Amino acid sequence: MSSRRSRSRQSSGASRISDDQIADLVSRLQQLIPEIRNRRSDKVSASKVLQETCNYIRSLHREVDDLSDRLSELLESTDSDSAQAAIIRSLLM
Amino acid sequence: MKARMQNSSSSAALLKQEFLKKWINGLQTYTNTKKEMTILDRKNAIKLSADIAIASTRNFSTNWSRAVMADVSKNVDGSSKIVTEKILGRKETCIIKCSKNIMRKSRLLAHRRRAIRRTIGRTSVKAASAIAKELVKKRTRVLKRLVPGGKQMNEICLIKETLDYIASLQVQVDVMRNIANAADHQCLDSTERSLL
Repeated sequence: MSSRRSRSRQSSGASRISDDQIADLVSRLQQLIPEIRNRRSDKVSASKVLQETCNYIRSLHREVDDLSDRLSELLESTDSDSAQAAIIRSLLM
Repeated sequence: MKARMQNSSSSAALLKQEFLKKWINGLQTYTNTKKEMTILDRKNAIKLSADIAIASTRNFSTNWSRAVMADVSKNVDGSSKIVTEKILGRKETCIIKCSKNIMRKSRLLAHRRRAIRRTIGRTSVKAASAIAKELVKKRTRVLKRLVPGGKQMNEICLIKETLDYIASLQVQVDVMRNIANAADHQCLDSTERSLL
């Protein structure tokens, strides 16, 4: 019974409800992405937000990769025990 | 507003500490199990430990973190399994295996949902709003590829997961960057000392 009701809701009224939900979520995404947040304009289109989101995630992935490269080179160049100890020490201070 | 910001900054700090602890744990496990590592091995170890660590800070409460864990357990060789167990504990590693079945089931459900939606008719009027919708759909498809586990989510779930995923990635990048900078300084200091 309830499944029939939800299926009919899906085709008509649900689209309005989910549009509002989506708009709210998109505005929250806007806050999170530095590109858009710094531009200080209230009206950014959904597709623009999505595009910037994808670019931002890609750049974060790239940065994790670069940092992993950098760290592996650093740990390689010095004795691993002392490097780890030095890193941990500098973190706790 | 200020209280909320303070709360979020202190919870972000806690998250960073948790990520850091788990990441270093995983790294130490790697260096204990594999004495000889090439630079590439080391880099993959660093990256893998970081990914496992940041996903585990979510405690299996988000789809993306479960998807990351499922991927890790798929491409597992002996040492990454040990790292996962070290960070999560043996019980949770078994949960990962169960979550693979959950992912399979949700994939079937999503497939069925998509089939139902396709049978509800579509009009082909190319109004400006329709073009905008196409663009949104296209970008959503790209986003689905970027967020782990995204292919099985509907739009609302996808955006919610993206919010959490981006916040976690920011924590991961922040901590890794701080460590890399600190390590840089340390190396410079020690080389200066050795030159004196």
